[in-house]
Formats: sequence, structure tokens, C-alpha cells
Amino acid sequence: MTALARELDQGVIDVGGASVRWFAAGATSGPLPPVVLIHGTGGSTEGHFSFVFPMLARTQRVISVDLAPPPGNAELTVDDLERQVAAVVDREAPTGPVSVLGYSLGAVVAASYAAHHADRVQNLVLVAGWITTDTQQLLRQDVQQQLRGGDPVAFKKLSLLLAFGVPFLAKRSFDELATVAPPPSGTPEFLARLASLNRRIDIADEVAAIRAVTLVIGCTHDLMVPRHHSLALFGAIEDARYLELSSGHALVFERPAELHLAVRTFLSQPSRHPAGTVIPAEQP
Amino acid sequence: MTEQVEVVVIGAGFAGIGLGIRLKRRGFDSFVVLERAHDVGGTWRDNTYPGVACDVPAHLYSYSFRLNPNWSAVQAPGAEIWQYLRDGVREEGVTEHVRLNTEVTAARWDESSARWQVETSNGSWSAKFVVTACGHLSDTRLPDIEGLDAFAGELFHTARWNHGVPLEGKRVGLVGTGASAVQVLPELQRVAAEVVVFQRSAPYFFVPSGRRPEFSAAQKRLFARYPAAMRELRSEVFWYSEGNFPARVRVPALLERARNASLRYLESAVTDPELRAKLTPDYEIGCKRILGPGRYYASMVQDNVTLEASALSRIEGSTAHSAGGAAFDLDVLVFATGFDATEPRFATLIRGRDGSTLAESWSDGMKSTASISTPGFPNLFITNGANTSLGHNSSVYIIESQIDYILSALDYVDATGVAFVEATPEGEHAYVDDLARRSEGSVWLSGGCHNWYVDPRTQTLTVTWPDFAYQFREENSRFDPASYHLATRE
Ligand SMILES: Cc1cc2nc3c(=O)[nH]c(=O)nc-3n(C[C@H](O)[C@H](O)[C@H](O)COP(=O)(O)OP(=O)(O)OC[C@H]3O[C@@H](n4cnc5c(N)ncnc54)[C@H](O)[C@@H]3O)c2cc1C
Repeated sequence: MTALARELDQGVIDVGGASVRWFAAGATSGPLPPVVLIHGTGGSTEGHFSFVFPMLARTQRVISVDLAPPPGNAELTVDDLERQVAAVVDREAPTGPVSVLGYSLGAVVAASYAAHHADRVQNLVLVAGWITTDTQQLLRQDVQQQLRGGDPVAFKKLSLLLAFGVPFLAKRSFDELATVAPPPSGTPEFLARLASLNRRIDIADEVAAIRAVTLVIGCTHDLMVPRHHSLALFGAIEDARYLELSSGHALVFERPAELHLAVRTFLSQPSRHPAGTVIPAEQP
Repeated sequence: MTEQVEVVVIGAGFAGIGLGIRLKRRGFDSFVVLERAHDVGGTWRDNTYPGVACDVPAHLYSYSFRLNPNWSAVQAPGAEIWQYLRDGVREEGVTEHVRLNTEVTAARWDESSARWQVETSNGSWSAKFVVTACGHLSDTRLPDIEGLDAFAGELFHTARWNHGVPLEGKRVGLVGTGASAVQVLPELQRVAAEVVVFQRSAPYFFVPSGRRPEFSAAQKRLFARYPAAMRELRSEVFWYSEGNFPARVRVPALLERARNASLRYLESAVTDPELRAKLTPDYEIGCKRILGPGRYYASMVQDNVTLEASALSRIEGSTAHSAGGAAFDLDVLVFATGFDATEPRFATLIRGRDGSTLAESWSDGMKSTASISTPGFPNLFITNGANTSLGHNSSVYIIESQIDYILSALDYVDATGVAFVEATPEGEHAYVDDLARRSEGSVWLSGGCHNWYVDPRTQTLTVTWPDFAYQFREENSRFDPASYHLATRE
């Protein structure tokens, strides 16, 4: 765990019976508001942000939340996860503006949190997020669910096929793929509850209420949360700009440096591009 | 007679040629590119040693505005890169602006006319702007070794290869284990009777990808027919390379991953424990340039190669003595001992407002505003100078950013009519302090090695840009009048 960054604060807080681990690093006194990172399904700070967290911490304060299962077996809601984020923010950045970045399901949580805390969330980054689960995603989840129990080998292969972009997979050997991403974090029960939540997302009302300066990042080759979802966010959020990166859903593993620098650039000057801009990707 | 031009560019390597092409494309003609050698090409004209190639993939290590579908290999041979640069000069109409065999011997700022006076071995120029594009790896360095002058055999530097010396059947000493040594060893091993490698410290290598290093005819034709495929490849390589930066600033998990991968590769390539121990670096990965693996280890294990894990220290006739006490009789000595990067020679030729040289100004190490300007030297732009080198990505990306900066400065002066622009001392201090902060704790400063990125006089990181390449372009590709004194006309 301590391999995440050289100077790391961390702790665990209780949120309605859930043990939520948080991490923080980077100067507390800089000009930029702290940024809060929220990982996606099967992730964690270490799993999804091992690149972005320590590198952002070189230029500003970074706080992250490891989402945790609430006790019992009740249906998980966005609200449950949002409360965990709120508790960490209240503890680590009790006053003043914050920026929030969410990835995948974390983007759903981030969007909802930003809508409900418009007074706190100044800047928002939504990476491969979505508003409403659609039939393409349900079909994909159906197949994943069937294989998870029945054919674990096929399940693993399908997961790779869905997570990574076609061009990325085409150029790698099986050996390379085996080391490119860590195994999912979380108990099977929690992963199942998260999977069920993924099927029920509908945050249209919240998204309409977002006032933060927002960067929406979509991934060209995403099969899990295809880019039309990011475009929908771009249309729905008032002060949004859009950047598309050449990657599958697993942007945090395929192009971590490009993600990091897009975020760092945006946070350093969020309104550089006016609302409605389609920001061109860097052409090296 | 003094020729009048707007811009004098010194040096015709990637930087000088690139600037020439961009100026030409803007329809700008009032410039010359002065080159001391007999041809354009810089690094790629000078380095003709067997095995010379780029180690950053050529599809990235080339101009974004002149993609080349025909690179024969990922690590293109040096001769191909040289030809690429010569073609660029010819096809873009830059030839008529290049003055070959023209070595700049002095450049002086003339306060009264607010112009630069440039003296060369082949005429004088007066210019409003001077751009140095003299390279950071162009002036060769030979170590100061007792008895070297009296060596009974032949000796030369890798960047000044003597093709007239046959190596077949000879006993060859290779001094150094940096990027050039690693490329040349397999070629020496093939032809020489015996090769002795003098190693002060062992290099780390990237793990070979296992993909084909050559491009097939079909791939090249695809690139020609569908250039977007080249752009996509370029992006992939660029962002992959950027991914290697965090290890340089010691992000623990990523540093460990890089080190372990490299050491595992060594383990798999060299089975003899004694040789492996000698080839195991004793400093942190990234402190020196991480090298492309090529066939270095494969050559090192051959019977006719001896690894002497200490420096060459003394020569007596044809006998080379190592610091470790070994002696070898040799016919040829090849120096792969690098270049003067921290104290560039061109800095001794340039005199600013108060008559002192850039080298004097830099006596405690290179420093700058935006890695391109320095106080006391109005209308001078220095490419590939202070804090521009990368340990992890293509220097052509940096060069193109600097070209953009220069063009925007020319535009600014043109649009505002100011007489000249000069970096302010406050701006330079702020920039230097900021970079010092970013370098703190990096492998270059604390990795436990001697490298050519750190100025030995002050132990500060003056050669390397201590951040992502992208961030260099983000910060240093547009002229920023706020860090300059803007002189108005009388
Ligand atoms: C063997 C080798 C391999 C390399 N491989 C890579 C790689 O894979 N990737 C990478 O990013 N970088 C690589 N580099 C670094 C390389 O130097 C730069 O990438 C790049 O070529 C620098 O271009 P430049 O135009 O700044 O300088 P140079 O190419 O060095 O050109 C400078 C020119 O200025 C001329 N000059 C100097 N002083 C004077 C004077 N007083 N008067 C007139 N002319 C003068 C020189 O003759 C020369 O032609 C390599 C370097 C070497 C030596």
C-alpha cells in the first residue's frame, strides 16, 4: 500500500458501518483546490490510480476514496457510495472548494456528488462515465454474469476483450496482458453488488443540476461504457468540455500518462476552453 | 562584407533544419543556417559507427510535419535518419539558406544597432535574431588518460568513426558503456578478433518487446496509403514513453516495476553468475539513460569479448591498463565516451549586452527562462540548451516545441514593433527555482550515479527537463512576454 506515493497520509473511517479507506498526498497549501479521486467497479486507489494519484500529488493536494461495501445485503445505491465520498471530503477537506474526478462507476458517483454539493465542487472530471444504463450494457453484463459462475476462464478472457481497446489488444502478447492490470479489488459479494448497481444507473436529474466546470473524457474504443455515454454527459452538463482519447475502457492502464496530463492541464486552468469545446487530443 | 538577415541559425541538425523548414513554409526568406561541417544532419551526419540507430522509435523520432512511411525499422539506422534530414532540406527549399563549411567563431550583440554580429570561418552576418541549434551531443569528449597521445595503435571517438581503420582480426578496446557503446559492441564482436569493454558502470536496459523490429513492405505501403496509421503509431509510442517518466521521480511502485523488469531481463540473458554480477548496475534505474537492448548481452557472452569492470586509466605503448589493475594489448581504441553536455562549446562564442560570454554567464551551470532565453542576451534563442534533454522520450518533440516558441516570439516582435526582447533576471530565477523543485528527489540527483545531466560544478540538474515531455510543450512552446523586458524603439 505504501508504494502508492512517497509521502502518504491514509486512514480508515466508518461510514454507516462501511470501513472506508482514504489516501491523501501532495502539498496542502497550493493554489489549486484538492482533487478527490473516485475509482470504478473492481478498482481501488492503487488499482486504478497508481499512476495518476502520485503524479497529481506532485502539483497539488490529492485525496482518494476506496469505496467499501455497506453492511448487510441490501441493494447498493449510488447514494451509499456518494456518502462515503462525502465523509472523506468532510474529513480531509472540510471547507473550501474541491475538484472531483471519477472513473467509470466512480464518474457516476462523482457526478451525483457534484450535483448534490454544488457549493463545494468547483471542478469535475468524468472519465468514461454514464447517465443511464442502456441495453448494450445490460446485454454485456448478462453475458459476463453467466460466465462468471459457469466458466471462469472464458469470463477472464471476455473481461480482457471488453476492458481493453481493440488496437491495444491487437499489439500485445498474452504474457504482456497478464501483467498490464492488477486483478480486481473487492470481495466477490461486493463485486456482485457493484455489478447489480451498474445495471440500475439513472442519474439524469442529478446531471442536469451540475454547475461545476466539467471535463468529460470519453474513450474511442470503449466497449463497456461506449463513448456515446460521454457525449451524452457532454450534452447534459451546462459547463462541460469534451476530450476523446484513443483507448478502450481501461484508459487508466492503456494510456495513464495521457489521462494524467489531460487532467493536470485541465485542473491547472479549468476554464481555458469555454463550455461546449471539443478539445483536440495532443498530436505529438 | 557583412550580409544582413533577420535570423541567423547556427547548426544544421534536427533543430536548425526543422526551424528552417518551418520558416520556409511561412514564406519567410530572410534567414541563413550556418553549419561548420561539410553537410547538414548534425548528430546523424557525425555518427556513422557500425550499428548506429535511434533508440526512440523513428516514427516518433522525426518531424510531426514530415512523417516518413518508409522507416525500415522501429530503431531506424543512422544513415536513414541522415538521409531523411537531407531530403527535408532539399524538398522544402531550405538548401539555398544553408551555408556549409561555415563555422561560427563569434557572435556579439551590438547595443547601438540592436542586432547580432556573427563572425564565421566563411563570412560575416548581421541579424536581428540568433538561434543556436548547435546540439547538446555534438562536441565529443575524450577522457583525460595518461599516455593516450602516445598510444601505438589507432584511436577514435564513436562520433568521429575512422572508416579507414580495418577491424577484422584486430584487438579492440571499447571505452564506455553508454548508448553508442551498446550499439557498436555487437558489430565489433562480429569482426574483431577480441574486444575488451572498459566499464565504469553497467547500464540498465529496456525489456525487448518481442515484436518485429523491421517494418514489412506491406506495413510501409499502408503507412504511405493511410497516413493516419502513422499518426496513431506515433501517439501510441509517445504516450507509452511518457508512461516511463514517473519512475524518474521515484514513484515507488513504478520505479520498482521498471527496475525489476530490467534485472529480470539481465537474469534471463546472462546465465554466468560472475558476468551477471559485473553487468548488474550499482545505482538506481533511470539515473543514467536506460538503453535499447539490441544484442548487447548476447555479444557480451561471446568468447571473444572481455568485460573489464573498471575504467581505462593509463596507456603504455599498445598496452591499456585499467583502474582495476588489468592490462590488455590492443590495436584499436574506440571511445564511446559521450559529449560535453553540461558545458556546451557554443556558449564560449556568444557575447551578450555587457560583452561577456554565455559560458561566463553559465559558469555555475546552464540556466534559462523557458529553456530558451537568458538575461543579457537579447533576441537570442537557445535550442537544446538548459533543461531540454529527456531521459524517456523523443527530443524531436522538444525541438518542435522550441521551434514553435521561436516562431511565436518572431510574430510577437513583428506585431508589436518592439526593438528586442530580453529575458528578465526575475523570470529566470523563478524558472530555475521551479525546475529545482521538480528535480528534487529524482533519480538523476539521488540515484547514486554520475551522469551527464547534472552539472558537476554545482550538482544541479541543468541538462534534463524534469517533467513529462508533454508538459514541456504545455509550458514552453509559446513566447510569454511576461518573462521578458520588451525594449521599445527610440
Ligand atoms: C548516437 C546518438 C543517438 C541518438 N539517438 C537519439 C534518440 O534515439 N532519440 C533522441 O531523442 N535523441 C537521440 N540522440 C540525441 C540527438 O543528439 C538529438 O536527438 C538531436 O539529434 C539533436 O539535434 P540538434 O539539431 O539539436 O543538434 P545536432 O544534431 O548535434 O546538430 C548541431 C549542429 O550544429 C553544428 N554546430 C555546432 N557548433 C557550430 C558552430 N560553432 N558553427 C557552425 N555549426 C555548428 C554541428 O556541426 C551540428 O551539425 C542521439 C544522439 C546520438 C549522438
